[in-house]
Amino acid sequence: MLKRLALFLSLVALAAPLAAQQPPIKIGAILPLTGSGASYGVWMKGGTEMAAEEINAAGGIGGRKLEVIYEDHAADASKAVNAMRRLVEVEKIPFTLTSYSAPTLAIQPIGAQNKVVMMNGGGQSDNLANKDYLYNNIPVVSNEVGVLCDWLTKEKKFKAAVMIVANDEAGRNSAKSFRDRFGAGGGRVLAEEQIALDGNDFRAQLAKLKAHGGDLLFISSYGRNVAIVADQARELGITIPMAATSWVQIPEVMKSKGAQGLLTTRLPFNPESAFARKFKERYKTDAGFFAVQYYSGTRIFAAAAEAAIKKAGGKLDGEGVKNAIESIKSFDTISGNLVFQPNHAAVMDIEVGVLKDGKVDVEKVIKAAP
Amino acid sequence: MAAYIAHYLVMVGIYTILATSLNLLVGYSGIFSLAHAAIYGIGAYASALAALKLGLGFWGGLVVAAMVGALAAALVAIPSLRVAGDYYIVASFGLQVVILTVFINWTSFTNGHAGLPGIPRPYVLGLVIDDPFKYVVLSLALAALTYLICLRLTGSAFGRTLRAVREDEIAAAATGKNVVAVKITITTISSALGALAGSLYAHYITYINPTSFTLDESIFITSLVILGGTERLAGPFVGALILLAVPEALKFLAIPDTVAAPMRQILYGALLILFMFVRPEGILGRPRPRSVA
Amino acid sequence: MDLVLQLLATGLVVGSLYALCAIGWGLIYGTTLHFHVAHGAVFALAAYYAYVAQKLLHLPLILAVLVAILGAAASGLLIDLLLYQQLERRGAFRTSIFIASLGLLILLENVIAIVFTPDPMRMDIGALNTAVIIGPVFLTYLHILTVVLALVGYAALMVFLKRSRWGQAIRAVSSAPEMARTVGIDLDRVHLLTYAVGSALAAPAGILVAMDVGAEPFRGTRFVLLASVGVIMGGIGSIPGAMLGGVFLGLLENLGIWKLPSEWQSAISFGVFLVFIVLRPRGFFGRTIHGAEI
Repeated sequence: MLKRLALFLSLVALAAPLAAQQPPIKIGAILPLTGSGASYGVWMKGGTEMAAEEINAAGGIGGRKLEVIYEDHAADASKAVNAMRRLVEVEKIPFTLTSYSAPTLAIQPIGAQNKVVMMNGGGQSDNLANKDYLYNNIPVVSNEVGVLCDWLTKEKKFKAAVMIVANDEAGRNSAKSFRDRFGAGGGRVLAEEQIALDGNDFRAQLAKLKAHGGDLLFISSYGRNVAIVADQARELGITIPMAATSWVQIPEVMKSKGAQGLLTTRLPFNPESAFARKFKERYKTDAGFFAVQYYSGTRIFAAAAEAAIKKAGGKLDGEGVKNAIESIKSFDTISGNLVFQPNHAAVMDIEVGVLKDGKVDVEKVIKAAP
Repeated sequence: MAAYIAHYLVMVGIYTILATSLNLLVGYSGIFSLAHAAIYGIGAYASALAALKLGLGFWGGLVVAAMVGALAAALVAIPSLRVAGDYYIVASFGLQVVILTVFINWTSFTNGHAGLPGIPRPYVLGLVIDDPFKYVVLSLALAALTYLICLRLTGSAFGRTLRAVREDEIAAAATGKNVVAVKITITTISSALGALAGSLYAHYITYINPTSFTLDESIFITSLVILGGTERLAGPFVGALILLAVPEALKFLAIPDTVAAPMRQILYGALLILFMFVRPEGILGRPRPRSVA
Repeated sequence: MDLVLQLLATGLVVGSLYALCAIGWGLIYGTTLHFHVAHGAVFALAAYYAYVAQKLLHLPLILAVLVAILGAAASGLLIDLLLYQQLERRGAFRTSIFIASLGLLILLENVIAIVFTPDPMRMDIGALNTAVIIGPVFLTYLHILTVVLALVGYAALMVFLKRSRWGQAIRAVSSAPEMARTVGIDLDRVHLLTYAVGSALAAPAGILVAMDVGAEPFRGTRFVLLASVGVIMGGIGSIPGAMLGGVFLGLLENLGIWKLPSEWQSAISFGVFLVFIVLRPRGFFGRTIHGAEI
């Protein structure tokens, strides 16, 4: 009896390492799942999920399954910091997707210190460039603002603008960029008012801006409040055209009455692509640019991680992933070839057009500067 | 798992300092301030800016925080010299809102909502405190120090004067106590200690922004004092142990995050109500003679 | 000049909302001395009652509003009956009632957040959204309705307090509770009535805001805080004072940013309040409360 038990146990001991699954590769995704930016969250999480599932269906990364840990920052950088600390110190991730400018800037020192790679697919503040361990697969906002201002001043001949600005990193950064580029094109910014992302009554600020006149209202904000700004501006009798960059293009804004006629930029996104159709089928809502962004971000990680594992002979850590990204540099994504510039940001073609009937009527395409 | 517990203990230490220093006002002086989160924030920003802009380390930041906190105490003290009770509560609401607005909008100083990232970790005798386990020692040590300071203070003659002022200000003044000096002293000490907690927090999380110092936070600190037991110096510590454990315990249940956060708050609100029915004097409090309506 | 007039108009509209909250809260506080912060939860609930009545039960708007007002009155009454009166029976101190009220506010707001999500729930207000242009001032019918309802609510309350028997009972309890009990007034019943009336006054404010920008679970905290500030500025125990205090706060918030940057709005209003309370704790019309003033 004892002999048989010993035999059985030794067989089990031999078989165990063979049968044991390699532990999954865990990565983080710190996204705006709730709050004024929840619409972005739906896209970002959906894109990530779809990518992870496809990767796992094809055998995973280096034979290991990919597991994404989703965290909600709700536009609050402290929540992002707490999530990042948990992911780094407890889950020991090598990589995380991140979103929004202020939360990303807040977690960046933690990532850099602990050698964890961060991939930002949504935040656009210029300050996100040139940061250790942080990569942006989206162009910084000054690229879009530059294209927008060129078009507004040279072709649409606007001369005097007023601005309504979200009182956070991204809003203020974009406003600064607008001031510079609109001025460079011969225009003047007459006045600026600040609003909160989660606010819902902007009449006082809009009334003050109206008193300054001007021929254009630039909305340097994003999320649900943009729809409210547009509606309330029209309600107050502000008739001048409004302009904004691509980040405002969420369903609430596209459908809002006040926002029709908005002069805006657009980053490449094909609503007829196979990806868009699969997304719509699965999540019952139209895909958007950010869905593709986070799908791509996840796939970029998969490619870099595979390379890192091969190089390190089976091990995977943040430093390895970073080195892989640096050496691969140019990634093939479903929206074309993505090249990380020396400043750790991407460049893309930028379109300009007018929001009409819930869609952007594109007038021009400006090719990406290399 | 161990990292979770270490983090919990660090926060217990920080909140013990906050709640104990608030107890000096709420429990011992009858000054019901709902602006303590603002003081906490003032300490955090002072320390963070001292470290980031002036290059002072944690200890320098701590001293700066305590000094700035002591100065800010004037804001807490002045209304207490004119109004008390419910009036004072509303005044402290107002103070909390004003200071938070400053945190959010004085962007050249505080960077507003974007906050201040990259706050350096402390060095103790050449050793950098860079993981929760080491931080637990620092946090609990400072909490113990706070406790001892308050113990000395409330046990002394000054402590007795404090209680006299709380019970009946007019009578206390009539017996020659300098009520103004007493109030200014206690708010200064309370604010300096609260600011100290802010410094500890800033260098632990290494990032601060205004959302950590809102009215909700003030209410939370106040409930630590009330539920732990006012008038007993160890009350706030017990309050912190229990109230900080509740959300952590909830994390082990598999609830989606969007429901978990309001669920924690519901539990918290229910706890407050329950305590007022079952043990209004708090866990460690001395049952006071009930007045029959 | 155009700007000042626009800000004045917006200030009057917002002030009307604060005034409705203030007179309701002030009535309750002046009569019961409960620091009823859960009034903010009643404010929020009223908005959701109206939303549910219109969007889920498909009632016409006016009926939905009436249902909501009655619902709010009932909610306030139940809070007193089931929470405050029970605590008082156990000999609770006023601080305990305040803490319990705070606990209830937090609890109710978060229950709403789970059931309805924290996102704003919009209502259909049809023609009320139409623009009304008075000179250089742009408003909507909804805004005008807000001011009208505040005046109507105030007048109705004053008439009720001065002319009706129950109103006089409330005033008796408010100014001299022991005396009122001696002459046979049932304090508990009067308290319940006070809560019903006070909560019914908060309802239109909550509903009007919901009709403008949508119902949200956590908005009530801000409104009850401002209501208490308005009541203190107006003077505790004075309904006209609370009305004035609320309107004054609305005007201060909007006119205050005429020349100052708008993001400092809250700081300006509360800053002025802090200076005011240090200089004149009694408020515009209040009586001195023993133990509250020094």
